[in-house]
Amino acid sequence: MSPRELRDFVVLGFASTHDALSAEAIMKDMGVDAVTVPAPKEIGTLCGIALRVSPEHAERARELLVRGGIEPTASVVVQDV
Amino acid sequence: MSESCPIYFDHGATSWPKPQEVLDAVASALTECGGNPGRGVHALGLAASRMIFGARTDLAAFLGVADSRDLIFTSGCTAGTNLMLKGLLRPGDRVVVSSMEHNAIARPLNVLAAAGVTVDVVDADETGLIDADRMEAAVKAKPTAAVVCQHASNVTGTIQPVGDLADIAHSAGAVMLVDGAQGAGHLRLDLGVLGADAYAVSGHKGMLGPQGVGALYLSPGIDPVQLVEGGTGGGSSESPTQPQSRPDRYEAGTPNTPGIGGLGAATRFLAVHAEDQRAEEARLARRLAEELSAIRGIRVIGAAPSEPRVPIVSVVHERMPADQLAFALDRRYGIAVRAGLHCAPWAHRTLGTLETGAVRFGIGFGNTDDDVDAAVAAVDEIVSEAR
Repeated sequence: MSPRELRDFVVLGFASTHDALSAEAIMKDMGVDAVTVPAPKEIGTLCGIALRVSPEHAERARELLVRGGIEPTASVVVQDV
Repeated sequence: MSESCPIYFDHGATSWPKPQEVLDAVASALTECGGNPGRGVHALGLAASRMIFGARTDLAAFLGVADSRDLIFTSGCTAGTNLMLKGLLRPGDRVVVSSMEHNAIARPLNVLAAAGVTVDVVDADETGLIDADRMEAAVKAKPTAAVVCQHASNVTGTIQPVGDLADIAHSAGAVMLVDGAQGAGHLRLDLGVLGADAYAVSGHKGMLGPQGVGALYLSPGIDPVQLVEGGTGGGSSESPTQPQSRPDRYEAGTPNTPGIGGLGAATRFLAVHAEDQRAEEARLARRLAEELSAIRGIRVIGAAPSEPRVPIVSVVHERMPADQLAFALDRRYGIAVRAGLHCAPWAHRTLGTLETGAVRFGIGFGNTDDDVDAAVAAVDEIVSEAR
């Protein structure tokens, strides 16, 4: 089995679980793939739900969220496999 | 009629039976969605979070709330009335409130009065209708922080002029706070236009959800202080203080996922069936009021039977005490009603029934013409024996 490559992901943090799930719903409706993940320490909190999107979708995701009235509280790039 | 399957006319206290979808959702919350919502980001926790998210967004849409974050889940309507009153009012404030209120309003206001809030009670008329002119005169008499009233009476079913009262409140710079225990579900609501700054909802009466759950709408323009602090899960654990964002600010502690999930299912059921259900329960309530009032010695309290009401019909007999009539209905006919003061001594004082109480028939989901026939015949038989 070959080792998997590290990739960059954009992780978005939110003020509440409700906002995170709202954001997920908005992105899903618009065909942007987002994965719910435990919040990594880089977004400033070690608790709660964050959304992980691929870098090529990050700008589109931010636009959709602004339009939907959901402001991410943080946006960081993390590496994962 | 067996004890396990009564003719149920106590929907004013709680609805029964529930739609099957509600039972299924409660079971699902305890099985497929058994994690702690907003905490662990694993499959069971996420399923619970999504159940609550879905319930909130669906209930917001059903009630006409534009931003579902303004809809707070509570343990019931009483928790909502306590939050809106105690979260907003401070010593020195003045409140104008109607005399038809339930103890869910009266008792918190009595506590606030002892702490220095002035509480001025304005008498409703003898049918239980809040008189907007009297309320306006009271509001204009002195600086007023809040106007407080019910949307509908739990004693007479009277539908109150909340929109007019909201206009009166806002003209005076006051907020409008509404106890919607008997309104939500039974009345079509659009909280975005009603004018209430806060509106407390029961989840288990007209909304058909399980007991132990309710909701409180808070308009974006008000900022009540939370009454409870604690864990809120997502995104704020490092903070030593309660987050200020809605809904988390007002939802400390593990939520009642089975109750909220059940309320969400009930909301989706009502989104499809509410118009038919309202028409049917209004028709049955009118029939019941008209036919009970035709029985010698029985008087329907509140407005005339032909007047619009939420589906509540309360009666008194000229001689038979309310508790005896209710007991006979239950024991001899398997008909469930509620006797007494219905947690609303202010209302019964207004209606002149504080000393006698009344027998309340609460009509709702599942009731039929056969139920009305049985109730009318039973009351007629029981009071005939007392003549």
